[in-house]
Amino acid sequence: MPHRLGPMQTLPSPMRRFQDGETVDYCIVGVGAAGGVLVQRLARAGFRVVGLEAGPFWDTEKDWVSDEKGSHELYWNDLRITGGTHPLALGANNSGKGVGGGSVHWAAFAPRFHPSDFHVYTEDGVGVDWPLSYWDLKPWYELLECEIPIAGPAWFPWGDPHGHPYGPHPIGGVGDVLVRGCTKLGIRTVAGGPVAILSASHGDRPHCIYRGFCLQGCKVGAKASTLITHVPDAIAHGAEIRAQSMVSRVSLRKDGRAGGVVYIDREGREHFQRARAVIVAGYAIETPRLLLNSECPGHRQGLANSSGTLGKYLMAQAGNVVAGRFDKLIRLYKAPPAHALSEEFYETDQRRDFARGFAIQTVGPLPVAFARQMVAAMGAWGWGMRRVMMDYNHWATLGVLGEILPWEDNRVELAEEKDQFGLQVAKVKFNLHDNDKKLIEFAKEKVMEVMWAAGAEQVVQESRFAHLVGGARMGSDPATSVVDKFGRTHDVPNLFVCDGSILPTQGSANPGLTIQALAARTADYLIRQGDSVFFSSRRDLSEPGIRYDLSPPHTRFKGNPRIA
Amino acid sequence: MSRKSFPLRSSGEELRDLDQPGYYAGYSTMAQKMSWDEATRTVVSERVNNVPPGRFFSPQEAALLGAVVDRVMPQDDRAEEHTIPILPAIDERLYKNSLNGFRYEDMPPDREAYRLAIQAIDEMARARFQQSFVELTIHNQELILRSLHDGKPDPEHAIWRRMPVRRFWALLMEDCVTAYYSHPWAWDEIGFGGPAYPRGYMRLENGLPEPWEKDEERYEWNAPVDSLSELDEAGTPPKHGSQRRHGERH
Repeated sequence: MPHRLGPMQTLPSPMRRFQDGETVDYCIVGVGAAGGVLVQRLARAGFRVVGLEAGPFWDTEKDWVSDEKGSHELYWNDLRITGGTHPLALGANNSGKGVGGGSVHWAAFAPRFHPSDFHVYTEDGVGVDWPLSYWDLKPWYELLECEIPIAGPAWFPWGDPHGHPYGPHPIGGVGDVLVRGCTKLGIRTVAGGPVAILSASHGDRPHCIYRGFCLQGCKVGAKASTLITHVPDAIAHGAEIRAQSMVSRVSLRKDGRAGGVVYIDREGREHFQRARAVIVAGYAIETPRLLLNSECPGHRQGLANSSGTLGKYLMAQAGNVVAGRFDKLIRLYKAPPAHALSEEFYETDQRRDFARGFAIQTVGPLPVAFARQMVAAMGAWGWGMRRVMMDYNHWATLGVLGEILPWEDNRVELAEEKDQFGLQVAKVKFNLHDNDKKLIEFAKEKVMEVMWAAGAEQVVQESRFAHLVGGARMGSDPATSVVDKFGRTHDVPNLFVCDGSILPTQGSANPGLTIQALAARTADYLIRQGDSVFFSSRRDLSEPGIRYDLSPPHTRFKGNPRIA
Repeated sequence: MSRKSFPLRSSGEELRDLDQPGYYAGYSTMAQKMSWDEATRTVVSERVNNVPPGRFFSPQEAALLGAVVDRVMPQDDRAEEHTIPILPAIDERLYKNSLNGFRYEDMPPDREAYRLAIQAIDEMARARFQQSFVELTIHNQELILRSLHDGKPDPEHAIWRRMPVRRFWALLMEDCVTAYYSHPWAWDEIGFGGPAYPRGYMRLENGLPEPWEKDEERYEWNAPVDSLSELDEAGTPPKHGSQRRHGERH
């Protein structure tokens, strides 16, 4: 049986297999949103590339189901400890495991960051500036929007206004509530995107069927994950993806350069993968954890941690969910959870008493998720739970997506406990600070106001958090950051980090598209640097220029409309 | 099954021995299973047809936690053969030590959390009513559980000083609602469309049913008279979350 990646797509076969003991050019740790793009680009450019992924290589027809409980294995379920004044829920909330990583179960909202996100310190005196500008990244935003591709309105009015290569989706009941409520209050909205979900077929991927199970993995193949957008092309160009390979440490050679990684295969056997350069793409918790677990002589506080900032400045976004009960039926399970939003409150507004802002977005919890929200939002239990759930079809849910600033005390450390491989697990500490609390309070009230304006007769809310970034942030100063603007660690010239953990701040846009755009930019940089990455310690910080000839099939002739 | 108390229709008749509670009479997600993909059909059918055996809890622990589950996720209105298995789902998760990816730093591991809570609840019952929790009247069981729900264990118990009661309550509720609302009979009860691949949905707006879904037929009902688990005030609990009705805004 072929390995299926949706009803029409199959995995290219056979896949190249490197021998044990063979040296590859690039070993990429983690094949998720960033890793998938890196593997694909570098393989197309002719490098010998292996991607090590801790989780399984999904066959979407066999492994994925249209069922909440049955989708448990998509998430990073291994033990992590969570604490601080506002402990983050992990697992299904934000962490994927398996080829495609978190992009398998993201809701797929794909807005760009705003130009202001890249210099919040200069503009607002909070957080930190990025070592690059929006305009440096923009060409890769446009290219990834065509590769993934993104469906959305022809005119997205916020940040750097832009259009989308695929048309917007039809609107569902929850989107209708968002648009209705915002319109009544004079708040601009967009609907039908921007989302990484197909509104028309694309090569061997069909368009969306509006079944609402985006967070359970898209069996249709309409919602993008790197499993179906970039990994097949990587394999067709000679990359190897080695699934169920848990990397336990990055190892250094005597000359202080990375020599490869130690990993444990599905049978529990330890292997060493020799590589000329290593890119860690394990996301905001596993990346710092791996580097901390890789401590060695000369790097006693963790690999690439001479600044002491590794694991620090971890960020989530405020993700309060506001639920409104309507007299009429909504049936919130239909249509993708992600399909309408407003970024009207994104930037700092001097009339408010906090810096930065938030977005308002649709969310679409299926019954189990909704019941859990009712436990938190209403204290529902017993007959009260049965009653509120009998009204499931009367509720609509909107989410806050609020910017939380980078703080040194929000961090990933190593806990005493060990996992099944004998590796110390991550301990995540998360505290809200004054600006965050004020922002959340304002955002929550605003979204509740939208819900009332849409005609809800009862409105409740649950405080929660979404997404994770930071923990190995990029910057120009090696004393206050882990990597430079291309993801190269300040301490080890052939060790890179490329995933959400390098983000210095995260605005109130979902980070997925930005993570992928940064990965494509890093890949283009590495390709331009050529073999010098493997032996030189020279750090070239000039802009790489974008490669338009390395995209997956079906990207050409797609454009980003700009109506203005 | 342990003791029962029945909700009432507003007309006064008891809601009991129902094959299908809720407002979508005759709606069946399982009747659609031939429209689902095979992997989904297998997983969901397995959930209905094969209830996992109890392997983690001792018979005494299972009896006590079963009585707790019967109150926090009551099914007294359902016919015996249409009761959704909750305790077996919790038992299986703990037996397999299947985690959800994290543990709060102030919580013990899930297995230990359940065993501690079972011990605490039974000792609370004996201290307050001189009876095992299992033997208490439904009302007295709910008095104990309500105090845990409110985060003010009555009577106090040393275990709740080691393990935050609100975290255990959240864990218990999460496990219970996951078991209940992942079952197709619960989908029928609440009118959820269920699995929809490869067919998908075509009527996205205005809450319209698909041709194979049913429209809602509401009726008024009340929780059993001795119950403390109803939402505080006809669906608008003032103590939880930060909801307000129009006109109360400041």
